[in-house]
Amino acid sequence: MKQARRWLLLAAALVLLPQAAYAQKKKPKGGNSGATATPAAAPAADTGAQAAPADMDADQPAPAPGAPATPAGGDQGTPAAGGDTGAGGDMDICQITPDAPQCMATKEINLGLEAKKAVRAEVYAVQQQYVIKAQRFEIQPYFAITLNDQFVSHDAPGLSLNYYITQVLAVGLNGNWYGSLNQDSDFNFQNRRAARIAVPLNDYQASGDLNFTYVPMYGKFAGFGDFIFHYDAYIDGGVGVIRTKPIPVIDPDNRSFDWNTLVNFDVGIGLRIFFNRWLAAVLEVRDIMFFDKIENTKIQPGLAAADPVKGVWYDPNSHFTNDVQLQVGLSLFLPTSFDYTLPK
Amino acid sequence: MTRRFVKTVLASLAVVCAVSAAGAANAQELQLTGPLKGAPAVRHLRLYRQGRFEIAPTVSFSLLDEYRRTILAGATLSYNITDWLALGIWGGAGVASLTTDLTDKIDGLGGAPRDQLTAINVAHSKSPFGQNPNSPASFADQTAKMSYLVSPQVTFTPFRGKLAIFNKIFVDTDLYVAGGVAIVGIQERADCVASKCNAPSSFDLQSLTKVAPTFGVGLDFYPSNFVSFGAEYRALPFSWNRSGFDSRGAGPNGNFPDQQVNSSDETFKFNMLVSIHIGFSFPTAPKISE
Repeated sequence: MKQARRWLLLAAALVLLPQAAYAQKKKPKGGNSGATATPAAAPAADTGAQAAPADMDADQPAPAPGAPATPAGGDQGTPAAGGDTGAGGDMDICQITPDAPQCMATKEINLGLEAKKAVRAEVYAVQQQYVIKAQRFEIQPYFAITLNDQFVSHDAPGLSLNYYITQVLAVGLNGNWYGSLNQDSDFNFQNRRAARIAVPLNDYQASGDLNFTYVPMYGKFAGFGDFIFHYDAYIDGGVGVIRTKPIPVIDPDNRSFDWNTLVNFDVGIGLRIFFNRWLAAVLEVRDIMFFDKIENTKIQPGLAAADPVKGVWYDPNSHFTNDVQLQVGLSLFLPTSFDYTLPK
Repeated sequence: MTRRFVKTVLASLAVVCAVSAAGAANAQELQLTGPLKGAPAVRHLRLYRQGRFEIAPTVSFSLLDEYRRTILAGATLSYNITDWLALGIWGGAGVASLTTDLTDKIDGLGGAPRDQLTAINVAHSKSPFGQNPNSPASFADQTAKMSYLVSPQVTFTPFRGKLAIFNKIFVDTDLYVAGGVAIVGIQERADCVASKCNAPSSFDLQSLTKVAPTFGVGLDFYPSNFVSFGAEYRALPFSWNRSGFDSRGAGPNGNFPDQQVNSSDETFKFNMLVSIHIGFSFPTAPKISE
């Protein structure tokens, strides 16, 4: 009999236990008590600013509508007085886990009324940079097209590898392989035939540079007033080597040249248009500058054609040369994802 | 049998993966149905263009010239029907024409010989064939140049945004493309036939008008409501005889000299210009979108 009572008490305790667990105040649907939440992000005051949803990227999880929102200025919301989660306080699960299912429920907002609300005047033009580059690698395959040489085009595939030490500064290597893509223009022949004057021409084989990149500008564009894409602009510069050799045009029957390795300096300015947070299209104008060795326009008949002293084949003076290229390519950032340190 | 089974399993896995990936992509779309569903991408946009006239003084520089560079000074006048569509006219006059290094070499010491072989192609001395070699006529004088340029055009501005420089300076900006028909006034060596092409007077230039398509792409920056500035790349493809040489007209495909200078010596060139401009818009204050 005594045992029967114990079993009954145990059964009653087991039945009551879950009820005690449920015995909390019923939350309103959506779970936003508003204790610490500031008004939802209002339309930006800056007339050039974009509203958040259109700027949203599919790579990132959506912010919860019921989550503590931040003012347009991008500052963090401050808890209201007394809005603590101390004992007896009205605890809001959406403050702790904004991505909880009940916090994800959509809430209809009257856009007209929201637009008329007063907002903070201080708004960053670009509140959070779309791509964090710091401590990421960039792989940039591209194709370079000659911009300034109407005599010989020096088109080349190339590759840049950069490491971003900070958000705006990178160090890296880049190289071009001109190979057999040097192309002597028809115009040279026409000019030689008509004016009986030849212009010394050079082929390039390859070039490589150690570069520093600085990114002073970034921004975003709204395409057709609909979608938004981000871009940045950078300058780079460095030092390296380039291998060139003259194309024999003055005395092609007797002269043949080997590749010369020359020191070069390069500077460039580029534009990067981001498709997402790790892939971008790149457009860059780069000037590779060096002192080139060119063919001597004079022939010295006293010397044998096979004279091993090729000094007479070369012009005694080096010629400062600019190889200006338009580079079109892609930019891949690794790792492909990153975390923001500060909230939006 | 085992291989077939493995293949089937792998194929199934691939399909499952593909379907899973597609499911994830669809799920992302749901994020766009949040509280600001249906909101425009840009609010309170300053409509720098819509309903405004713009006058933009422009300076243009030709690129990749073989014998002579041209600097044009002019202006663009446009009326912006909407913020993304404008009608206008762009024009300029050649205010400076500079010789290239090649032209200087041809004219310089040790340059092109003035003899029978070059008589038809290179302006020799006013006396025939270099009899006065100390004062040869200038090759530069026979090279072609652009005199003026007028182009009615349509400007399309699909991209509008803003730019942060050094995290301190913020400017609104837009990117546009423009296209139209260019009427280009040039001066190139006059036509001549047979023996008359050796005469010194045959190297004189004549004025011609070319009609060519033109298109360009440019960036505008708006530091204030009234003033903007920008840069533009412009192409003007057409054929002309830049050197004044007799280089074509005879032989296979007309690739050999025919001892006369005429339109067959014109060669196609993808003429390019880069321009900078400052724009002034009227009315001075832009409208603002809702």
